[in-house]
Amino acid sequence: MFGRYSGTFCHENGDILVETERNGGFLTYRRNCEGRTFERILISETGETIINPVEPVNLPGDVTDLFMVEFSPMLIEPGITQTIYLKFPIEVGVFLEAAKDIEVLDIFGLGTQKYTLYGPPTSGAIARWYRSAVYPDIPAVERLREGVMELSIQNMSHEWVEVSCAVFDSVDMKIYYGDFVATTATMKIVTTHMAETDFIDAPLVPGMARSIELYTARKIPVIKRGYLMEWGLS
Amino acid sequence: MGVIVTFNVTEIFEIPIGIGSITVENLLYFAVIIIVGVAVAKTVSTNVRRALVERLPKNEREVLVKLVYYIIVTGALVIALPQLQFDLSGLLVAGGIVGLVVGFASQSVVSNLVSGLFLMFEHPIKIGDNINVAGISGSVEDIRILSTVVKTYDGIFTRIPNEKVFTSNIANYVHNAARRFEYQIGIRYEDDAEVAIRVIKEVIWTHPFALKNPAPSVFVDNFGDDGVNLTAYIWAPTRNWWDVRTSLLWQIKQKLEENGIEMPFPQRTVRFADDLRVTAGDAGKGGAED
Repeated sequence: MFGRYSGTFCHENGDILVETERNGGFLTYRRNCEGRTFERILISETGETIINPVEPVNLPGDVTDLFMVEFSPMLIEPGITQTIYLKFPIEVGVFLEAAKDIEVLDIFGLGTQKYTLYGPPTSGAIARWYRSAVYPDIPAVERLREGVMELSIQNMSHEWVEVSCAVFDSVDMKIYYGDFVATTATMKIVTTHMAETDFIDAPLVPGMARSIELYTARKIPVIKRGYLMEWGLS
Repeated sequence: MGVIVTFNVTEIFEIPIGIGSITVENLLYFAVIIIVGVAVAKTVSTNVRRALVERLPKNEREVLVKLVYYIIVTGALVIALPQLQFDLSGLLVAGGIVGLVVGFASQSVVSNLVSGLFLMFEHPIKIGDNINVAGISGSVEDIRILSTVVKTYDGIFTRIPNEKVFTSNIANYVHNAARRFEYQIGIRYEDDAEVAIRVIKEVIWTHPFALKNPAPSVFVDNFGDDGVNLTAYIWAPTRNWWDVRTSLLWQIKQKLEENGIEMPFPQRTVRFADDLRVTAGDAGKGGAED
């Protein structure tokens, strides 16, 4: 389903149907995902449709840029760097691209979403929540539902640290897709209660294509910033 | 043969310019004070503009900047005028009286102005926040120098003087990222409260914006006249809490009914002291028998 299309196309995969068809002189985009439908008439001569995975913070509504992956608690030795693999939820973005502009047409996703508060109610932040098992190697995933995150955890503190969640700013997220969807991230543990997370702009497996990020399509100027987890690591 | 002219600089300063006894020195002092005053006024007003660029709308920002500029220039003029032998004592007396009158007349204006400045720097509210202040609830449309504009939830434009805003208790409903709300849910005495609590928690879990953490809390709160009263505390993102609150309750009601748990209706058992019995046949006639 992921890729670039011009003119009409039709993709049906389980509970997802995405298509464009020509009715009279108009091109109509139509999407049905688990019973939720979306339709738009497209007035376009040269525009192309791009479908790729996007940052998982848009459904069912835009409330935050943060997302949290919770996993089984791990105790990490001081000075150690360990790479683990997690699953993360994906959403599918549909973009319209012309020579001069790119626009977000539709965002949809399989399954349900859940949000949480990271930190205390007075000063914490809302984050998309997802629970994943911890894998030593790249796990098998449902391509349209989940992606693989390679997370490099580095304990820079001088103490053993227990970690059971990682919070990321999705604005920094770089998603690649091929046979599966993937992203690469780092987590530098500064103290027992604080860590810095960030994304690396590199494909997990050679040959993967890079997704168009939503903030690029929405023309939101972004400074690469990472995220400081200051409300604990578990 | 050249002519050598010698002169003393101080003598030049003491040369009268022909108006009263004003000398060149007085004129120079006047010019220097005015130039320094204008330079200070420009510097201060530029910095005021920079400081307020994100805090005030352009129109009000420029009015304030001009006010600061002219106050400093006027101050410089007051300091410089005695150099030109203007006697300001009369002006000060007149100014004092005028100031007193203006001060009394504009007491509330100044109070609102100062309150407005404090509001801008303290930031208890921002444009777009949902607040309750002085008994008025709504979203903040604008924070001006003298007043704050609130659009009430029924769409009415309300202007509140800044002094009132500043001296009142302000409830800012969207200051924190998350907000808690609660439901009171009654079930019949014959229903299993543990099952009801489990069902309610499952419904809450299915809602994306009913936050996982802080975890929702559902418990038996009290025994009412007609049934057992359960209370549910649920946290939601501040910007979405109303949508969550309005959508969840009906889902809970439907799910409870699917599980055979119903809302209790008010009921009262009446016992007659003389063992009154009503038969079906007599009930239609309105009769009764022992």
